[in-house]
Amino acid sequence: MTMFIAQCQAELRRLFRNKFYVIWSLCVPIFFYFLYTKIISIPMKNEEAWHIHYLMSMTVFSVMGSSIMSIGMRLVQERAFGWTHYLRVTPLPSSLYFLAKMVSQTLIHVVSIIIIFLVGYVMNDIQLTWSSWIGAACWILVMSLPFLALGLMIGTMKSVDTAAGIANVLYLGLAITGGLWMPVDVFPSLVQKMVHYLPSYQYGSGAWAITTGHYPSLSMMASLIGYFLLFMVVSLYIHKKQEGVA
Amino acid sequence: MDDIVTFSHVSKLYKEQQALQDLSFTLRKGETTAILGGNGAGKTTAISLMLGLMTPTSGEVTLFGHTPNARGVKERLGAMLQDVSVMDGLKVGELLQLFRSYYSAPLSFERLMTLTGLTPNDLKRRVEKLSGGQKRRVNFALALAGNPELLFFDEPTVGMDVTARRLFWQTINALQQQGKTIVFTTHYLQEADEVADRLLLFKQGTLIADGSVATIKGSLALHVISFIPGSGITCSMCAELPTVKDVQEDDGRIILKVENSDRVLQALFEKQWNVNGILVSQGSLDVAFETLTKGEAI
Repeated sequence: MTMFIAQCQAELRRLFRNKFYVIWSLCVPIFFYFLYTKIISIPMKNEEAWHIHYLMSMTVFSVMGSSIMSIGMRLVQERAFGWTHYLRVTPLPSSLYFLAKMVSQTLIHVVSIIIIFLVGYVMNDIQLTWSSWIGAACWILVMSLPFLALGLMIGTMKSVDTAAGIANVLYLGLAITGGLWMPVDVFPSLVQKMVHYLPSYQYGSGAWAITTGHYPSLSMMASLIGYFLLFMVVSLYIHKKQEGVA
Repeated sequence: MDDIVTFSHVSKLYKEQQALQDLSFTLRKGETTAILGGNGAGKTTAISLMLGLMTPTSGEVTLFGHTPNARGVKERLGAMLQDVSVMDGLKVGELLQLFRSYYSAPLSFERLMTLTGLTPNDLKRRVEKLSGGQKRRVNFALALAGNPELLFFDEPTVGMDVTARRLFWQTINALQQQGKTIVFTTHYLQEADEVADRLLLFKQGTLIADGSVATIKGSLALHVISFIPGSGITCSMCAELPTVKDVQEDDGRIILKVENSDRVLQALFEKQWNVNGILVSQGSLDVAFETLTKGEAI
């Protein structure tokens, strides 16, 4: 147990010291939120609703980003540096090593969510019921699973540079097309239809639904769970194949 | 149980190449063993098999009487591997603390610092900011963190400066006194000669010599005979002489490396070859090592 706690502690330290986390998971979403709710006024019928909608978008953007980028990149790097290899010589079981990564990643997400929610509350005086705040936070936390699995899939790649490139394209691509940066209403109608199939759009939709007093629909959950299973199966398959070679 | 590491008829095919062939040996408690060999001789493969990082294609490897991946085995060993960079984003002290948490009876911080030469200042630095030499020290400290009975070092002194090298071997010496079992690989015969009780000499995946340093020296050290050849004496003729392992021509002299200089001289006189200025000298172990591991005997 002490082994596991120490491992989590070390992983948390590393995550918080990572410049990427601080910049992309906190600074960028907060800056965007400030920009689109304070500086650039977007003609909206209901300004308050827009403030809430965009706060959810940015929180989803933040958590999705660190899910895709952190775990996957860490795994590729640690493998490339021989670290994963070296841990096999120690008494630390690899299951604990992965579990510690997952737990510390989740804790980081909790921190991101709290910070960004607080910013919204302070900056635009957002009033939501406790159940909406907590419901949205839980949705964002739990439904990050498909993106963590996508991170694991990227984590099976050999080269650090390729993995970083692909992860960046996926992350920003999913954020923009999923309507996290701007509402999908601005896209042409054909594109809007296609966007509905993206995990990032479904992820955001759940948070938007909760904060407008609805429940996330079954189709949202089904599609996110589907993506989770798909990414898990693919990454496990690649992992098995790689083990066979060594 | 004095047998710490055993290999029985171990072969390993790696990427469709024979990395090790029918290897059998036993390392006993308290022994310091050097695994010597050129590049691609199978040193790192042998270490990887001992550590359970690879599994043998055939044959069996045991550590403390169990398979290398059995529960509790990792608790009793420490290793310093090649091409392992330290985990980034942590301070040296934090990394050591993390590693100490993996073991039930770790060494104290003070002990680790004296053994590896890390300073209190080093402990506060981020591992990614360390120089190559300091990283090796950290790797050394990680290998010792659990106070292991069995230690593995794969090419430990690569990238160490002279001071670090001296300190490293001093520490190894202290660990030997404590009765630890130590296995290390090296390119340098001198290191093996000074530190090890026993040498395992690898060549192309096979064990070509196994014994104490003195025995191997005695049996392997080749003698060198050189002379100025008269007309009609060629290198290929010399290679036909008894016990000749190597023939070279340098600066008008023919240089022979031989196992038995008496018999060669006798043959030279019997054949009444036209040779002048015969010199006989005791070859060094280095010469023997080079001949054995690099060139095929002629």
